This record gives sequence, structure tokens and C-alpha cells, in this order.
Amino acid sequence: MAQGRTGKINYRCPQCLFRTIDYDLLYDRDADQYYCRRCNWEGDEMAILALYRVYKQQYPDMLKRWTVVEILAKDEEPGTTGNTPNPRPS
Amino acid sequence: MDKFILNVVHRPELMPEYINADAQAGKAEEFGGKKVVGESLDIFRLQQDIAHANGIKCTIQMTYASLYSDEAIQLAKDYHKQYGDEIGHTFLGVQCDRFRATYGSRELAMWLFPWDLKVRLVHDSFERFKEAFGFYPTSTGSYFLDAELINYIKEKYPGVKIAVAACFEEGPKVFRHTNNTWYTLLDGGPWTAWVPSKACSHAIAENAADDAGIVAVPHLSRDLLGVMDNPGDMFGTHPQNIIRGLAYEDDRLPFMYNLVDQYQVMKRYNKGFSYNLVYVGPGWMGKAGRWECPYRILKKSYEDFLAYYGQLKREGKVTVMTMTEFADWYRANKAVNEPICALWKDTIFGTKNQCFWYADSRFRVQIDLKLGGAITDIRPYASKLKRPCGAGTPANQDASYPFIVHARYRGGPFTHYAGEGAIKSAKVRFHGEEVDLSACRSTGRYEEGDGYRKLIVRPVTVEFRGLEVRIETSYTFRENTGTIDIARKIVGLTDPTAKVEIDEFITACWGTREYPEDLTGCTLAVIHDDGTRHAIDYAYRCREHSAEAVAAVEAVIPMVHTRIRMTPQTGPCKGYYEEGYSFAPNLKIGLCRELGLNEELVTTFSIERAA
Repeated sequence: MAQGRTGKINYRCPQCLFRTIDYDLLYDRDADQYYCRRCNWEGDEMAILALYRVYKQQYPDMLKRWTVVEILAKDEEPGTTGNTPNPRPS
Repeated sequence: MDKFILNVVHRPELMPEYINADAQAGKAEEFGGKKVVGESLDIFRLQQDIAHANGIKCTIQMTYASLYSDEAIQLAKDYHKQYGDEIGHTFLGVQCDRFRATYGSRELAMWLFPWDLKVRLVHDSFERFKEAFGFYPTSTGSYFLDAELINYIKEKYPGVKIAVAACFEEGPKVFRHTNNTWYTLLDGGPWTAWVPSKACSHAIAENAADDAGIVAVPHLSRDLLGVMDNPGDMFGTHPQNIIRGLAYEDDRLPFMYNLVDQYQVMKRYNKGFSYNLVYVGPGWMGKAGRWECPYRILKKSYEDFLAYYGQLKREGKVTVMTMTEFADWYRANKAVNEPICALWKDTIFGTKNQCFWYADSRFRVQIDLKLGGAITDIRPYASKLKRPCGAGTPANQDASYPFIVHARYRGGPFTHYAGEGAIKSAKVRFHGEEVDLSACRSTGRYEEGDGYRKLIVRPVTVEFRGLEVRIETSYTFRENTGTIDIARKIVGLTDPTAKVEIDEFITACWGTREYPEDLTGCTLAVIHDDGTRHAIDYAYRCREHSAEAVAAVEAVIPMVHTRIRMTPQTGPCKGYYEEGYSFAPNLKIGLCRELGLNEELVTTFSIERAA
């Protein structure tokens, strides 16, 4: 099997990212495949990008702008209060 | 006061860690190669140009390597002359041919050097600085500087006024993030500017006699909620760190603006003052890109970020200073033991989550509002633990200030079937049912007054079979006394005649990381109202003791020279201790009392140094 090399783009392992570990993938030219030397993830570029999109779902407000006024207004919000589960805001 | 102050720091690093990976591995032919040096200085120039284009004055931190580069020295002089930039110093970026020939080491982390090499480097670089510029620097820095080194620098170079002295909450979480290879184990310090103690740089100084003589600032200004359960290196005033956390789309990173705006909000909790430090090393803006991110976006993110500060400056909302100017301002306007406070809100995870941080000379405390306002992290600064770090010291790489509660490293409110995790919370009991208030999400309000800061947790509803109870919690921090008055008040009962029991408790331990440390030698005591004590030495034997109408309960954790005590303030309380066992390696003390409608349990929780 061919030597693994850093690909043209230095992708991190998406599976390791999910457990908050930055670990560079290597690229196997013969198999046209990226693979991780830490965990057992392997896949192509499309699979990496798809998992990165999933990773970003932890940031529902990733593209939301919270200004000074809006953050200050949070001081006045009643918030959630109870020992029963509250629905996640959409 | 209405002051939001910005420091922007750039360093002409001639061998950034992330550009010259081969050289890091010791390949001499690549080491400090012309291409790398050229690119590094180009990035430095680019960063400087971006700042100056936005009217931002910078602090240039000269590295050891750059102090031997005529080009870098001339650049610094020119920037100083043209823009008024401060020429300062840093212990980052030591690696170069000269360093290896002189010191024979590939060590990049100056704070981890053996002591003899630390002091040698201080002298070498400060004297070389004077040779190059004709004066000694008044600002310096590293990822971390322990108190021993700060004291030494102040003794030999008393003109130093300020240092980048730590990297906020870079500890086990960042270590893990970096595949257990980035040895910045520095948890436990303040998140904004402080005057460090002579005994321990993480801790805020007690008074003038304890003043280490500098103002310390953290390496970056971080998201105080993001760092709680994530590596801080994805959530700071460092656009490329945000990119690292993938919290961006194309070239849009609104979170970086949210961070700046939230730091402006921090003025509300700090008597009108807030502070940001921006310190992006050149390795984060290399032409080859960084991980998945191309150079174009790395560069644009920095341009956009500094453009926003430029806009705030034009609007009169931020004051840009050099580091030394900021040190002078801080000394003129803030006390040596100035408390710092933050009621921080989520602006990225899409929740209403909030957290509250408080620190003064006696402790640093983190409160998680989504845990009903439970205390989830306590660092006992009152102990002023001497913890020199680096080769030859007991701590070596572990430069963190120890905790006595850490709800994430040590379980907190959730354990797997056995034992209890470390947390300071309260339980409510009614007819055999029990609910921990950490199961009740809430948010907070802030108040302040003469000598105190107060967090009021909005009332939560606890649901029992046949009874609903509304409980309001408040924390009153008595500044620089080591005490917190904790009040639990019944503000609603569906049966106004009912009584519920409140159990105010702390489950504590000690350490700097996830693994348990030995508790043998700790003591637990119930102190009766006649002054007699029922006490045990900790031996993992699961012993318990309780008594009615106690004067106080206390625990001593000698490994961190810390005594914690809970004292009832309103009416008689039952007090208890629980020893724990090896599968539940914690110690617990608590106070209990029955309450009816509009009654409250007030306890004083204190932290002091134990001999």
C-alpha cells in the first residue's frame, strides 16, 4: 500500500473532531482516500465535508450576530426555570 | 467609568511553530531557512499594516530570534517612530540557530526550562534588547510566567510593568484537543487583567505587600461559556482560533464580533471597565493556510476583526493602548486586589445558557446557571500556593492552579450509578423525594454595592408529588474576604403550610486534572455550638456524622493548604460530613434546615489558607 501523505488540503479527522481532538488526516493516493492514524475513520473528501457540516450543528447561532444591546437584553430575560426539561429554542 | 480597552500584540517570530514543522523536528537544513524567515516577517508586516490601517496602535513583542535579526529590529524601530507602537519583549519564539547553539535545546516553552536556563535567557534577551534598542523593555510575556520568574524579572529589571502571564483555561481540555501534545497546562487563572500575587501568578494579589509588581494579562480574551466544556483554543479574540473550531461559514465569522460585543457588556459587571487582548501569532496567517482554511480567509478574518475594533475606536467605544500604557492606566484606576466579575451569555450554541465568574484575592469561582446556579469550579487563591513550574520542579509541566471543585473534571451533578461528583449545590427534600437544584435550569441577575458583588439566580420550580416549590438562590461575594453568603429562599409553595428541607452542601476534592488525587490526610469536622468538634482524618472509609444545631461544618485539604467552612446565618441547622470512599473520592460537608414559605436558609461559605 502507498505511503500516506498530507493531502492538498490539510484536513483534520472528522471523527476525532467530534471528540474535540485535532488530528491531521493522511491521504492514500492509490485508494484516493483519507484516513486517520488515531481512530478508525477513513473516507473521501465528500465524507469529510459532510461530517464537518454535522460538526457545525453544535453552533446553531454560528451565523447569528449578537450585539451589545441584544446581549444586555439577556439580563432582563426570565430564562428557563424548572427541573423539567425545556424545549431547545429553534 | 466607561472604559473598554484594547491591546493588540504582534510578534516578529522568525520560526512560527506552524510554518516550520520540519525545523521543529530538528531538520537543520530547514531551520530558520530564508523562506521561512521571509514569510514570517511578511506576515508580521501584514498584521501591522492591517492594524495601522484601522488606526490601531500595537505592541510589538520582540522574540529572542528577532532580536538577532537586523531586519526585524529595524522594522520595530520604524513602526515605533511612525505609529507610536510599543517595542516590547516576549519569551515566545526563542528557537533559531543562535538559540540552539547557545542553549543546546529544542525546548520552545520558556516557562518549562530548568531554572538556570530561565534566568540565563532573561539576562541574554533583556541585555540583547537593550543593545538593539537602547532601553530595557517594559512589557514582556510568554504563554505562562510563574511567580518565581516574575519576581526574578522584577528584581533584575524593575522597569517591567506588564506581562502576558497566562493563557486563560489552557489546561487539560486544550491538551486533549492537541492530541495530548501541547503542554500549556495553565488552568485556574483570571480571564482578564489582574495584579498577580508574589506567591503565585495565577492568584490575584492580596495587598500592596503581595503585589508582584506587574499587571498580568491573559494571552487572549476568551468566551467564558465556551471554555467551560470545550478547549479554549476555539473560542477567543483570535479569528483563526474560531476558524479552528469550525464556527464559520465561507468567510463569515459573526461570533468574533459577538465576543467583542460581549466583552463590552462586561463593563456592566466591572464598574465600567472591560479589556480585550488580541494576540495572533504569525503562524496562524501562513500562505499555506491552516488546516482546511485557505490563506485568503485567514487573512480576511484578521482584516475584518481589526476593522471592527477600528470602527469601535472611531465611535469612541474602545480605547486602544499599548501594553505599557494599559499597565499605567490599570495602576492609576484599579486596586491591587480588584475583584473581577462576569455574567456571560451564550452567543454561539443557540441556548439561553449563562455562567457567572467571580475572582478576587481569595478565590476564583465559576457558577453554572443551567445547573440552577451550582458552583462548578473553585480555585482557592487564599492558599496562595507556591507552584513553580518547569524542569526540576515538582509540578514540571502542570502549571495549573489546583481546584477544590471541578464539576467537569470530577463528575459534577452526574455520576455513573455510584458516588457523588464535585460540586457546590443544594438539595430539596419533601416526603422522601429529593431534587438537586442542579437539575433546574435558570438564568441570573447581577447586583453590586459597597464591598460586595451579588448574583441572583432567578427562581426555579421544584416539582414533588403533591407539591411545587419555588426557590430563589443568591450568592453575595464579600470582596477579598474569602466568603460567600449563599441564600436559598422559598418564594412559592402550592401548599402554603408545607415545609421542605434544604440541604446546602459541597462535595469537594483537589487536583488540576481529571484523575483523582489522594485525599488521605484531609480532615472533616462538625463543630458543635459549644465549640467541641467531631472530626475524622480522611481514610476512604465512608464514615458519616451529623448533629443538630451546629456552629459550622468544615473540611481541610492540606495538599492545597485550604480550609473550607460552612456556617449557618439564619436559625439552627443540622450539620454533617460524609467521608467518601475510593470509588467516590470526594469529601462532603453540608447544612440542612426545614423551611416554609418566605423562609430562607443563609449560609456563609468561606475559604481560607490552612497552615
